[in-house]
Amino acid sequence: MNTLTVALAQSLVVAAFFAVPSFADDEELKKDLTAVIALHGLPCGQVVAVTVQAENDYAASCKDGNKYRVYLNAAGRVVVEKQQ
Amino acid sequence: MHVVYAAVPLLLLTAGCAHVKPDTPVAEPPVVARQPGTPQPAAKPAAPATPKPEPAAAPAPRVRTPAPQTASKAAPLVAKTPATAPALDLNTLKEELRATKAIGFFTKIALKNQVDDLRDQFREYYQGKAKLTMTDLRRSYELLIMKVLSLLQDEDQKLASAIVSSREAIWGLLADPKKFATLQG
Repeated sequence: MNTLTVALAQSLVVAAFFAVPSFADDEELKKDLTAVIALHGLPCGQVVAVTVQAENDYAASCKDGNKYRVYLNAAGRVVVEKQQ
Repeated sequence: MHVVYAAVPLLLLTAGCAHVKPDTPVAEPPVVARQPGTPQPAAKPAAPATPKPEPAAAPAPRVRTPAPQTASKAAPLVAKTPATAPALDLNTLKEELRATKAIGFFTKIALKNQVDDLRDQFREYYQGKAKLTMTDLRRSYELLIMKVLSLLQDEDQKLASAIVSSREAIWGLLADPKKFATLQG
């Protein structure tokens, strides 16, 4: 029982350490997409949710309700498409 | 055993705190905010242009008084800027922009797209194909610089300052057809 509790505690600590970087990455991605949408002069405010659709292809939901597909096209350009 | 129970939440809390670092430079943004003041020299050409026609008008003294104030304010700022941010050459600037962590991957590509678009506009202008004037190009250039600065100023102030210091030199390369031609190769 004691061994099980210790193991559980250790795994929780390990999980916490791994959870922090993934959260940070997600926040970085949201920030990146927020900047990209703003650079294209489109309304957004702030990206609050991101779904990965493919490599370098994201669906971003903005704080103001707008949704965009942000992706890298074959010509190497970042394209921002408004979604309904 | 109780010690272990007590230690777990403590460790979880400290793990969470380890993530909060990046917001430190709160006091520093004013430094960059001042440095965009350095482009005031760029605004200077407009200032001497207005006072000349205005001496005939009555409020001439009003125009004269603010001018020395801006000049006296700009002088110490210009003196400060070179100490903190020396102007960089174009290649170093490119490398610094590629390396900075202040701008995300997608944003960097989007910025590069816009830089390429601006270069295309200059190329068309020099080929006589463009509908844009040099004033339009200057405006586009300034906007692009402002975009870059707004992305950098909170998290990479050193590079933001370097860009502020280099903006006139870069404009010099773009606005001179001969120098611009060397950029193409």
